[in-house]
Amino acid sequence: MKKWIAGAALALAAMTGTAFADGHGDYPERPIMLMVSYGAGGATDFQARIVTMTAGNEDALGMPMAIVNKPGAGGRVGWNWFATQAEADGYTLGAYNIPHFIAQSIEGGVDYSADSFEPIANWGADPAVFVVGADSEFNSMDDVVDFAKANPAGLTFSGAGLFVGHHIAALQLEKAAGVKMAYIPNNAGGAGAMRAVISGEVMGGVNNLSDAYRAQAAGNVKILGVFDLERNSFLPDVPTLMEQGYEIDNASVNFRGVMVPKGTPQAVIDHLAATVPTMFENSRVQSRMEAGGSPMHIMTRDEVLAMWAVRQETLEDLLAGL
Amino acid sequence: MTDLPRNQHIIASGLIAAVGITVAYVSFTQEPADAFIFPRLIASVFAVLAIWTFGKAVLGRTKVGNGLSAGAMRNLAPGLIVMLIYVYWAAKGLGFYTATTIAFFVLLSLYDPAPHTQLKTWLKRIVITAAFMLVIYGLFAQLLNVFTPKEILF
Amino acid sequence: MEFLFYMGDVFTPVNFGLLLLGTIGGLILGATPGLSPTMAVALLIPFTFKLEPQQGLILLGAAYTSTVAGGAVSAILLKIPGAPANIATTLDGHAMAQKGEGARALQLSFIASAVGGVFGVLLLIFLTPILAQWALAFGPSHLFWLAILGVTVIGTLDSSSVVKGLLSGCIGLWLATIGFDDIMGAQRFIFHPSVAGGINVIPALIGLFAIPQVITMFTKGRSSDDAEIISVKRHPIRKAMAEVFSRKRALSIGTAVGSIIGLIPGVGGQIAGLVAYDQSQKFSPEKDKFGTGHSEGVIAAESANNAMVGPSLVPLLTLSIPGSPTAAVLLGGLLIHGIFPGPDLFMNYPQVAWTFIDSMLIGQILMCVFGLYIAGLAANVARIPHGVMAALVLGLAVFGSYSVQNSMGDVYVMATLGLAMYFLERFGFSAAPLVLGLILGPIAEANFIQGSMIANATVGMGSYFFTGWLNWLLIVIVIASVSYSVWMEIAQRRYTTKDDAVAKEEALS
Repeated sequence: MKKWIAGAALALAAMTGTAFADGHGDYPERPIMLMVSYGAGGATDFQARIVTMTAGNEDALGMPMAIVNKPGAGGRVGWNWFATQAEADGYTLGAYNIPHFIAQSIEGGVDYSADSFEPIANWGADPAVFVVGADSEFNSMDDVVDFAKANPAGLTFSGAGLFVGHHIAALQLEKAAGVKMAYIPNNAGGAGAMRAVISGEVMGGVNNLSDAYRAQAAGNVKILGVFDLERNSFLPDVPTLMEQGYEIDNASVNFRGVMVPKGTPQAVIDHLAATVPTMFENSRVQSRMEAGGSPMHIMTRDEVLAMWAVRQETLEDLLAGL
Repeated sequence: MTDLPRNQHIIASGLIAAVGITVAYVSFTQEPADAFIFPRLIASVFAVLAIWTFGKAVLGRTKVGNGLSAGAMRNLAPGLIVMLIYVYWAAKGLGFYTATTIAFFVLLSLYDPAPHTQLKTWLKRIVITAAFMLVIYGLFAQLLNVFTPKEILF
Repeated sequence: MEFLFYMGDVFTPVNFGLLLLGTIGGLILGATPGLSPTMAVALLIPFTFKLEPQQGLILLGAAYTSTVAGGAVSAILLKIPGAPANIATTLDGHAMAQKGEGARALQLSFIASAVGGVFGVLLLIFLTPILAQWALAFGPSHLFWLAILGVTVIGTLDSSSVVKGLLSGCIGLWLATIGFDDIMGAQRFIFHPSVAGGINVIPALIGLFAIPQVITMFTKGRSSDDAEIISVKRHPIRKAMAEVFSRKRALSIGTAVGSIIGLIPGVGGQIAGLVAYDQSQKFSPEKDKFGTGHSEGVIAAESANNAMVGPSLVPLLTLSIPGSPTAAVLLGGLLIHGIFPGPDLFMNYPQVAWTFIDSMLIGQILMCVFGLYIAGLAANVARIPHGVMAALVLGLAVFGSYSVQNSMGDVYVMATLGLAMYFLERFGFSAAPLVLGLILGPIAEANFIQGSMIANATVGMGSYFFTGWLNWLLIVIVIASVSYSVWMEIAQRRYTTKDDAVAKEEALS
């Protein structure tokens, strides 16, 4: 019995081995897992579920994708797992959030860096915005900065955590305006940070454009500025920070996309890099994302590689001063 | 509770006290200090309570808990060994479904009081194992799409 | 009364079919170990892509309702709480099942769930605007005091001695700090790669409750079952109804605690059942019976669990802020159809919003009907010989804890905690306070740190944590709770009576 099992195992290993050595084989031949390092219901999880819903179509991968959540510590838990324990066989994909994981790897204490992963394609770009409660006395970023100048380190504002996009935006704002403010990282992510703004626990907050757009529609917050190079189509009336006189680029924009661990066979990477962007372009995906207020921004593997390299540099500069 | 196994209580609470002191030591020496404020608080209370319990056990004043009897240990040993092999090695080494089938069948045979000599007993055990595995496979693999470590077969 | 107007929509063939599907599916998913209501609802989201918004929400709402109640099935019969919400149900529910009263326990739990659930949804219908303010009232300082209140419950919860209860709680609080700290991202106590991601509550729950029970079954050896065949008692539903409504104290404490705590973002769902259980024990004249298969325990815990469902959706529907992970998943279900919840949700999409709420109301009743039907059959689980049962629970525990995050590390954590818990239980420690510590630790810590950051930037620590009526109300309750426990400890040396209970339990098993 034992011999037979061992023999079968060898045969099986040999079969899968040769399939990959060939390059294409019949990849994918079973469902694919997509690891999301945030909890079910968060913006990344929600968008990942939408953009992968057509993975099973014949013109896409031909196999469904299942989302597995590994939340914790601003994404560190999931990405650590992905860099160290995920199998590089092409059946384990991960969602990335830029600038989060790059900023965390620069800060240290994690087992990954931009070199641990191979990007496949980018699906979305969610800029950070500055929000204040609907009844706040602040009506522009100048009001906020003036208050911060009068009360050094006394203006409380929330964000989703340390070394995530919101924190980067906060650091950029402090640097550009030359003020000190009190950034309060929230343990319940973007939703918790937004709640803190609406209930008045903090005076303002940095949050995702998509969530702030909804909160503004519900009449709960005012959006004072967008941390991006140009205005967003969801919020044509809200000026960028640059327009309001603060030298802030798009380093904090939350890019979301799909990646695989380093060591995944090149043939698999090529196959995914060719099919995944077209999967994101599917009209059903586009309409669902639009309906949910989630800005899409599709980028190919080469574009993402270039973007990662640029982010690595700007973030190293920005965080060096800490 | 007349015949409390006092020595067992001393060993058990001693182990807990050791853990408590280790935790307290680690949390007071690790950096960054900011991230260890809360653990220090907990660890201090933990260590104090653990030492108190240990003291009570040494003085023989522990009133709750029945300890372990030799008979019970003899009975649980084979099951525990199967469980340890199954969880810590076989589940990953052999693949989830293979390992679970084997572990289920072995445990069933170990603890089923029916006589080992009859063919009927063995047939019954095989049927129960197969039924359980079918339910598990249907629920986790088919319905919930759980990706299990697959090594041999499935 | 607008909700009555849309009631008819629930009963169109397609909608009602989906409601049935969601309810039955939810009961099954809820009874599956390791599958929390959040995951169950998230799994159903892809199905709603293809449905109309109204239909999709009916499916999700029904599934949410019945997974919460379905968790009681594995909690009672197998002593595996499917989610933190069901911890308190295991305490008395499983004790009843061991006495052959599984049918009674399940019937009580489903009826109590339905009563609590209907009350919760009615609150959602009638009091939403008022409740929304209440949901926002809890800032970091209040959540911190609330967590401390939970910690004070630890010492007295299902424990034979207050010191050992507190010690168990400390172990739980410590376990919760393992891994990356949520705010700073610093690594703490990572002594093995399996715990690098921290200790996930659900695998820990499964291990702490199920594994000691598996080992206890091993200790019986290959003994013949003749001596201990449990006669499964049939129990008429009529009697269960009468019993639930005669236990007015437990039922009203459970429902009230569940509704109030359910509103508090991020905390409610996990501790509603435990707090309700503890409170009804404190107010009951039959305190000593708790933990030995007492009906009040099951009724309080389960009515609180389901009463929480309705109010937990208030922040989502009125303010567009998901108050719990499950609400966050439901938000996703709304967003993919382009529906943004907010104060004008009921104006812009009355057909969707009201039908959703109505379906949760009807769902509670359907859940009860199906639950009662299952109860009669499922109680036979107690007849399964212990050899089979041990193997079955172990297999389910391994699969259940693995499926939470597809992680072998979780399985190792589950088994290790379970093994340790078996030995701890033999020396008078118990799992419930440990788990409560595990749940409350992160809440207390994160809110303390956030609170002190805000305080340092504004008014200072003293005035931040010690001003405002809500802070003081919570502080007073904390003091009252501590003094009550101390007084009880001194007045009657609780453990002697509890020893009788332990002895009784030993005799039974």
